Amino acid sequence: MRDLIDIWVGLQTWIFETAVGPVLFEFGLMAWYEPGYNAVEFVMLGVVQIVVIAVGMRFFERRWPLEKSGKDDRLILVDQIYTLLNKLGIVPLAIFVVTYPLVQEIELAVRAWGFAPPRLERILPWLGDNALASFLLYFVLYDFAAYWLHRAQHAFPWWWALHSLHHSQRRMTVWTDDRNHVVDDLLITLALVLFSQLVGVQPGEYVIILMIGRLVESWSHANVDMNFGWLGNRLLVGPRFHRLHHALASPEERHIQDHNFAPVFPIWDILFGTAIYDTRNRPTGVADPAVDNDNDRGWIAQQITVFWRFARALTPKIRRATAL
Amino acid sequence: MRKLVFAAIALAMGAGEAARADAVLVLNSDEASYSILSRSSRIELARYPVGREPHHVIVTPDGKEMLIGSTVTNELLGLDIKTGERTRVVKDVIDPYHMGFSPNGKWFVTAAYRLDHVDIFHADGYRLAGRIFIDGLPSHIAFDAESKTVFVTLQQSGRLAAFDLQTQTLKWNVPVGNAPAGIVMLPDNKRLLVALTGEDGIVVVDPKDGGVQSTLQTGKGAHNFWPQGDGRLYFLSNRVEGTISLIDTTEMKVVGNVRVPGGPDCMAITPDGKELWVTQRFLRRVAVIDIEQLRVVASIPVGKSPHGVFMLQSGAAGPARGPVRAASTAEDQK
Ligand SMILES: [Zn+2]
Ligand SMILES: [Zn+2]
Repeated sequence: MRDLIDIWVGLQTWIFETAVGPVLFEFGLMAWYEPGYNAVEFVMLGVVQIVVIAVGMRFFERRWPLEKSGKDDRLILVDQIYTLLNKLGIVPLAIFVVTYPLVQEIELAVRAWGFAPPRLERILPWLGDNALASFLLYFVLYDFAAYWLHRAQHAFPWWWALHSLHHSQRRMTVWTDDRNHVVDDLLITLALVLFSQLVGVQPGEYVIILMIGRLVESWSHANVDMNFGWLGNRLLVGPRFHRLHHALASPEERHIQDHNFAPVFPIWDILFGTAIYDTRNRPTGVADPAVDNDNDRGWIAQQITVFWRFARALTPKIRRATAL
Repeated sequence: MRKLVFAAIALAMGAGEAARADAVLVLNSDEASYSILSRSSRIELARYPVGREPHHVIVTPDGKEMLIGSTVTNELLGLDIKTGERTRVVKDVIDPYHMGFSPNGKWFVTAAYRLDHVDIFHADGYRLAGRIFIDGLPSHIAFDAESKTVFVTLQQSGRLAAFDLQTQTLKWNVPVGNAPAGIVMLPDNKRLLVALTGEDGIVVVDPKDGGVQSTLQTGKGAHNFWPQGDGRLYFLSNRVEGTISLIDTTEMKVVGNVRVPGGPDCMAITPDGKELWVTQRFLRRVAVIDIEQLRVVASIPVGKSPHGVFMLQSGAAGPARGPVRAASTAEDQK
């Protein structure tokens, strides 16, 4: 284990000291020295995730596909672009630059106010002696917040205008998880970072939670016909469970997408009555033709058109006024 | 589990005085824990949770306790300096990033790096005497020998500020160079050394008015000091260069250099004066340097982003016998 850590941080240090650190030093950005080092790890973890998806998960998609390949295969390409932009840190860096001052302001205001975010160990001291239990508890809490954020994405029309981009994909694969509008990514990141600071997730834990969580989510979008048994289906979100959330609404199942919201742990859907376990195969996508048109667009066109969708949803009054 | 760990430490420390002095404490700033290492066998014995983002550790004036600053939870965690056992928690010390006691033990000062203020406490009971808001990321502190003035480096604005302890007012605030971090008062009480992390060396500053007297090139990212012997010689970590320089402060020149990879940061010298221990923040290790040969003889695995390092029982009667200072330093930290 330690050998692995040494190889990992050795590579991270080499990349940082060769390419990133000197730039920060030259430009007088030494206050960013440690964060810059952590950013290198973020990108390295992204590369690992891409390899796991492209080699590991794709193996199962090829071996046991649910939907056979066909003319819609071309729709997958844009999702691959989303995955690369996100996992290699390009979108996250942009989001960081935008959200950092805001997160900073909020954090400092709260702290200057004298409020110290609690750490769970304060309430449950035994957690301090059990690193694994502590990590799992933080993970579960994080996922709980993500579950409710996902419900909000479907509940508010303006948020659905953004999130519908994620759902418009008719050809769902391991690459679909990162298919989100950058504004959507930004809102979710901001909310989850603030939540994590509030409950006291440590930076080191945050990175691992993010890494494992995103891998599970990539897998839950996989185009595979596999079953993990009664218990397996209830412990972790799998492809069947999440595919139902992406199902195309039909006259009999108008609100089928208001189920199976959980990102990683299905327990939230079970607890809050939004879980559906069945084995029917349904096509995926969004019935609204305006949303379905996302499929004909590339990354840039999707970002622009979905932004307009979002802007219009935010300003219903003006729209009505011009309609008159 | 905890009992087991304590048993292990007790075993490693043995019962005797000499054996107890064998323990070394390291703060793993990115995982809210501290490690206890064995100096002689050079291994990590145990790891304990502590607040959030612990960066620095100092000794109380009575020499009985060490205090770990838990920056995000606004508290100091006290540990017995001999046994390492928890003694108490001092609450409501806001963002204790870097801290220190004045040489006379009367004042306790903290630099709230993230929150841009310097707090001056009566050391007795940790009662806040005054809070001074000052822009520019206050990062490291040092005192004059008379315990009248505290000096604070401002990393973002590239300045050095001096405050009167008795009145808690600003005396002066002057530019000294890019990203000043570590600062020490030399035993003559006439010269301050300030490490410039945004440049490649240090400046010698006049404590009367902050005037820069001279500069010395050491290495990129000059960051923090640790005295050797009587305080004539100082070790300095150069974080970007990845070296430790040995500085002769009478001649003001570099008399030795040793390469320490992985962003070397805080340092401490073993009680026998033979080894310098340095945290390698990026590599999650602590390097052991043989002082006589000036070379790295070991590197011990610890937790994530190790920052402060401290020799149990080596504290109050530190080699320089000057102001009791943080056993580490650092700025950075997002
Ligand atoms: Zn959804
Ligand atoms: Zn999805």
